[in-house]
Amino acid sequence: MRRFAISLATIALAASACSTPSQTPSEEVAAPQMTSTTVPAPTTTTPPIPSLSAEPGFDESPQSPLADRVASLDSALYDPQEHAVETPTPVTLTIPSLGIDGADIIDVGVTDDGEMEIPDAGRVGWYRYNPVPGESGSAVLAAHISFDGRPGVFRYLAELVPGDEAIVTLDDGTTIEFRVVETAQYPKDDLPVERVFAKDGSPILTLITCGGAFDRTARSYKDNIVAYAVPVNGAGNGIAG
Amino acid sequence: MKKLIATFAAAVMALAIAAPAMAQTEARIHLIHGIPDTPVDVFVDGEAVFTDFAFGDTQDLSGLAGATLVGLQVRLAGTDTVAIDAGDVALPDSGNYSIIAHLAADGTPTIAVYENDTSAIDSGNGRLQVRHTAAAPAVDVKADGAVAFSNLANPDEAKADLPAATYSVEVVPTGADEPVVIGPADIALDEGTSLIVYAVGSLDAGSLTVLTESISGLGTAPAEVPTGNSPVDGGMPLTVVAGALVLLVAAGGGLALARRSH
Repeated sequence: MRRFAISLATIALAASACSTPSQTPSEEVAAPQMTSTTVPAPTTTTPPIPSLSAEPGFDESPQSPLADRVASLDSALYDPQEHAVETPTPVTLTIPSLGIDGADIIDVGVTDDGEMEIPDAGRVGWYRYNPVPGESGSAVLAAHISFDGRPGVFRYLAELVPGDEAIVTLDDGTTIEFRVVETAQYPKDDLPVERVFAKDGSPILTLITCGGAFDRTARSYKDNIVAYAVPVNGAGNGIAG
Repeated sequence: MKKLIATFAAAVMALAIAAPAMAQTEARIHLIHGIPDTPVDVFVDGEAVFTDFAFGDTQDLSGLAGATLVGLQVRLAGTDTVAIDAGDVALPDSGNYSIIAHLAADGTPTIAVYENDTSAIDSGNGRLQVRHTAAAPAVDVKADGAVAFSNLANPDEAKADLPAATYSVEVVPTGADEPVVIGPADIALDEGTSLIVYAVGSLDAGSLTVLTESISGLGTAPAEVPTGNSPVDGGMPLTVVAGALVLLVAAGGGLALARRSH
C-alpha cells in the first residue's frame, strides 16, 4: 500500500482548484493590477473547441522525461476495412521426388477434440490458423500416410531428404518453391509444437504425417514424421506476414 | 469534478491492490481515450508527457510500469484547463491492463482500469471481451443474431472464447431486439487472439460507437496431428495376412497327413 500515494488532501486541493463558476462570481471583476494565477474553471458541459493548429505540443510547456517512456499505438477506432483484405490460400502441392503432382490442398481447422482436421487420403490439409506458405512463420501442410486402407498423399514422406523440392501454388496464381532442409520423427507427445506451429519468424513450410509403430487397437500411429522446407529464393513470397 | 477525481482514485486504488497479486513478468499497460470530442494533454509534475490525445488514440504506458506518476494532470488540449487532477498515481509493475477514459452511464467523464485475460485460448478459438464504457443504459451484445452477452451495464465487462470467425455484431437495449444502437458491424475474431471491444460515446449525443484493441499470441497448437488410421505394410491389414498364413499352414498340414497315410 506504500506505493499508493494519492492522499485525500491532494484530491481535496485539486477539487477546490477546479471550482465551478458559481463559486467565484466576485473574481470576475478583475482590477487592472491583478494578475490572476487561478486556473480558470473548467466547463463541465461542452469543452472548448480544440485549437485549429495541428502542432502536436506547445513550445512553452517543458516536455517530461517520461515522454521517452511512452509511445503512441495504433488508433482504437474501429476500422471495418482492416480485415477486409483477402490473403491468398494454398491450393496445390507438388513434390517431384515423391511423385506427388498437383495434390489438392484444402484449408482445415480443428475438430471438437482440439486435434488438427485432416482431409481424406487423397488431399492435403493446410492449417488455416497458421501462415500462408511463404509468409513469416510455419505454414503447416498435413496429409495421411494411410487412411482407411488407402495410401495417403504423404505415404512416402519419410523418404524426403534435404535438398528435395516442394512446390506450392496459391489461389492467386502465385507459385512458391521450397527446399527441404531437415526431416525428423517424433513420438506424438513430443511433437515440438512451438516450432511446428510457429506463427512468426522466418518462413518455413512444414510437412507432417504419421509414422513409426502402428497401434492396431487404437488405429493410430505412435509418431509424427515432419519435414521442414525453406523458400528457394530465401525471402518468402512477399505476402505481408 | 470531485466525482470524477474520486472515481479515478478508486480506479487507481484497484490497480494498486491488484498489482501485488499478479505473477506475470512484464507489464503491459495501455491507455485509451474513449470520450468523443475531448482532446487532452497529459502532464506529470508540470511537464507534458503527451499532447493532443484524442478520441480513439492509444498510448503505451508499459515503459512506466512500476513508476509513480507525480502530480498527474489531464488538461484540455492546448489549454491550462485541468480536466482531471489525479495527484500521484502508482502504476503496477506487472500484469496486463487497459485504462480507458470514458463516459459513465450518466455522461460524467471517468476512468476505468480493466485487467485483461491473457490465459491460453484453446486451438481454433479467439476471445471476445466486451466492455460497456458508454453513456447508455444496459445492453445485450448479439453475434450473428444470437445474444452473446446480456444485460451488460456501464462499466461492466463480459467475455467468451468463441470459434475464430467473423461475426456480425449488434448492440441493442437489454431484452430488446431494437433499436440497434451500435452496428451491425463485422467483427473478426482471430484465432489465438483476444479482441477487446469497448462500447463508447453517448446515446443522447448520438455518438455511440466501438473502440477495439487486441492481444495476440494467446493461442494453443492443436492437441495432435492424426494423419493415419491404417497400417502400411504392403497395404494389407495384418488380420488378412494372418488369416492367409493360417490357411496355408492348414493346407500344408493336410497334404502331409495325406502323404503319410499312403
